[in-house]
Amino acid sequence: MNKLIPSLGLHKRFILTILLIAVFVWSLTSIQWNSELYHAGGIPTMLQIFEGLIQPNLDSELLLVGLESAWITLAYAVAGMSLAIVYAFIVGVLASGTLTSSKFSRIISKVFFRGILGFTRSIHELIWAWLFVAAVGLSPYAAILALAIPYGGILGRIFADMLNDVPGQPILALKSAGSSRLQTLIYGYLPLIWSDFISYTMYRFECAIRSSAIMSFVGLGGLGFQIQLALADLKYDSVWTFIFFLIALVIFVDGWSNFVRKGLTEHKRRKGMNSGWLSVLFALLLIAASWFYITLSEKANLGELLSEKNLEYASKFFGGLLGINQENPAFLNGESWALALKLTMETLEMSVMAIGFATIVAFITVIPAARNIANGSLTLQKNWYNRILYGVIRLFYIFSRSVPELVWAMMIIFIFKPGILPGALALALHNFGILGKLWAEVVEDMDPRPIRNLATAGASKIEILFYGILPIVLPRFLTYILYRWEVIMRTTIVVGFVGAGGLGMEFKLAMSYFDYTQITLLLLCYMILVIIADFASETTRKAVK
Amino acid sequence: MSSKTMIEAKNISKHFERKIALSSLSFSISQGELVAIIGPSGAGKTTLLNSIAGLVSLEDGDLLIDSKPLKEYKRGKRFARKIGVIRQQFDLIGPLAVIHNVLAGKLSEWSLFKSLFSLLVPQDKETALTALERVGLENKPYEITATLSGGEQQRVAMARLMVQNPEIILADEPVASLDPARADDVLSMLTAIVIEKNQTLLASLHSVEYAKRYFTRIIALKNGKLFFDLPTEDVTHEILNELYQLKEQGSDE
Repeated sequence: MNKLIPSLGLHKRFILTILLIAVFVWSLTSIQWNSELYHAGGIPTMLQIFEGLIQPNLDSELLLVGLESAWITLAYAVAGMSLAIVYAFIVGVLASGTLTSSKFSRIISKVFFRGILGFTRSIHELIWAWLFVAAVGLSPYAAILALAIPYGGILGRIFADMLNDVPGQPILALKSAGSSRLQTLIYGYLPLIWSDFISYTMYRFECAIRSSAIMSFVGLGGLGFQIQLALADLKYDSVWTFIFFLIALVIFVDGWSNFVRKGLTEHKRRKGMNSGWLSVLFALLLIAASWFYITLSEKANLGELLSEKNLEYASKFFGGLLGINQENPAFLNGESWALALKLTMETLEMSVMAIGFATIVAFITVIPAARNIANGSLTLQKNWYNRILYGVIRLFYIFSRSVPELVWAMMIIFIFKPGILPGALALALHNFGILGKLWAEVVEDMDPRPIRNLATAGASKIEILFYGILPIVLPRFLTYILYRWEVIMRTTIVVGFVGAGGLGMEFKLAMSYFDYTQITLLLLCYMILVIIADFASETTRKAVK
Repeated sequence: MSSKTMIEAKNISKHFERKIALSSLSFSISQGELVAIIGPSGAGKTTLLNSIAGLVSLEDGDLLIDSKPLKEYKRGKRFARKIGVIRQQFDLIGPLAVIHNVLAGKLSEWSLFKSLFSLLVPQDKETALTALERVGLENKPYEITATLSGGEQQRVAMARLMVQNPEIILADEPVASLDPARADDVLSMLTAIVIEKNQTLLASLHSVEYAKRYFTRIIALKNGKLFFDLPTEDVTHEILNELYQLKEQGSDE
């Protein structure tokens, strides 16, 4: 009896791998692989884009524009995140059920507030932006709220999870000492989780920078707007200049968050809080400066947002979405459903193809990208080229993840004809860097002793890879693939906006024809996809465990 | 006992930053000997084993393995036929099936293709099963290694060593995390296998008890220096007390 179960477990993993590869191959068959895929002038355009990369436009006037747009992008991200944190904190605490007394009210509040968090995060920030712009017009608040709502949803969910995972004994001790619920929250729960929460918030802040940049695609200013303009003028050298600004911004936030995380782990040992307070001060300054800039320079006014005219627009818009006063709403029409479901399928194929491409590239590059392999401490083999390879691959990773998938899509659409392939490629280009970075960290964190022992037993480098490293890291690699797939699923709709096929392309068409009920139908399909993706990924992850 | 010298150390030294790990050690070990290295924590036992395994480079002195300088052995295939290492049970790849962990001892002989194919269809299965039978695990070849107990995992590591079949076995605290019954079990099995195959065993141990019970010769280290090097029967109570004395005597540094 004992003998059968573990070997079955081994085979389950093997079968699952085969299954996932089969799904990827199936997604590839949905494309007709021939020269019709790319534009006649696609390859020369690609060369021109590449030329712009090597020689970006460094004109001082353009640099000034870049600097200003980078600030706008940063300010929107900071303002959006500050609202998101407030929202996440309030709804997160309520969703964790730590403040409720009876079991019944706890379940009710959990289901209700977790539902709110789930709904707000399942819709991509760009869709929120589109809805806000359609409802209240072009205002910085449209961008800020569009960032704050989905990011608040993500942060709030993580916050609630952390609160629920707090070890029980300290909380019980506080309660038996007679502290009230609110006191228990402040003295017990919050100190136990705040450092993890800050680390996660910093990571999300980096994502918010990218999201803020693409807010431009609904007509709001910032780096994305400039990239869009330059692309429209076919000035590829300027495109790259702005992209480099974006990369610099991402690297800056990444560096800051590393600094904060280091401070958090360190002053557990030493008492000084200098670096921590410095970051807090800097964050407060940044928040103040961002709001100051948005309210004064951009003359955004929250009161104006709620003016009678806007409220009228908004009610008309949302009424339109619900099909009020419409003769034949699309979401009650069988033909529209058939078309939408076909697009849903296409979108699904696009997401699978994207994660497949990203996985292949990350898989090829991850081993030299791990620090403990580059310096030979894991495999006991040292080569002069290891460090160079490490540096080059890590540079590619940063480059890949700093550029939002939407920007990749806008460039790729110059080379490939509209369809799901360019969408999948854009998503893969953005995600392989993230996947590679996460995987490399898994390899860096693994226990080196079994691997070194293999090396002393005379295994070659590739043998070490297959006998030692892969069996240990594969389950975690798979978890990350599935997590990224969930994210890709949410983003498929966005790359569709610029003509990369799937639901997003149709969504944009419906938007420009003011076909509101069609929008509702597409959003429904999109949410079904997101829910399916979350469910499939969670089931698979449990199967691996 | 054959008189062929397997390991010869001549004045070997090693520093870690400012700390002396090994200071001018000399000894020689013949084929078939069972040697235990004992000494207080931080005496240099692990550093000595790691330098013989080629994992730590020496600053000074010569180390001859089978009459050839260690530096002349290239890492990898041929060296693996000479020297095999066993540690606490952290040597094994947890998520792999037992049989693959045992067959990893063959990687130095196998071609790349054969070793990859073996992950699907185990190659040289008979060799692995014989080794597993010898250590009493013949009924568990397809279990996931991580699910085995500590003593069982250590026996898997021994089966791997049998498959690798090196001339010299270095054991670094092989029973450190096992209870006394398991420890006895592992050590008696290990020494029996070594004697059977006329291999040479050099093991570092925390426990003097085990050193006396299973080994023919004991080398004691203190502060990186040779404290004594005696046949087991000549090791007395007094000399051991002196070895483990807490107070630092004289100005050694």
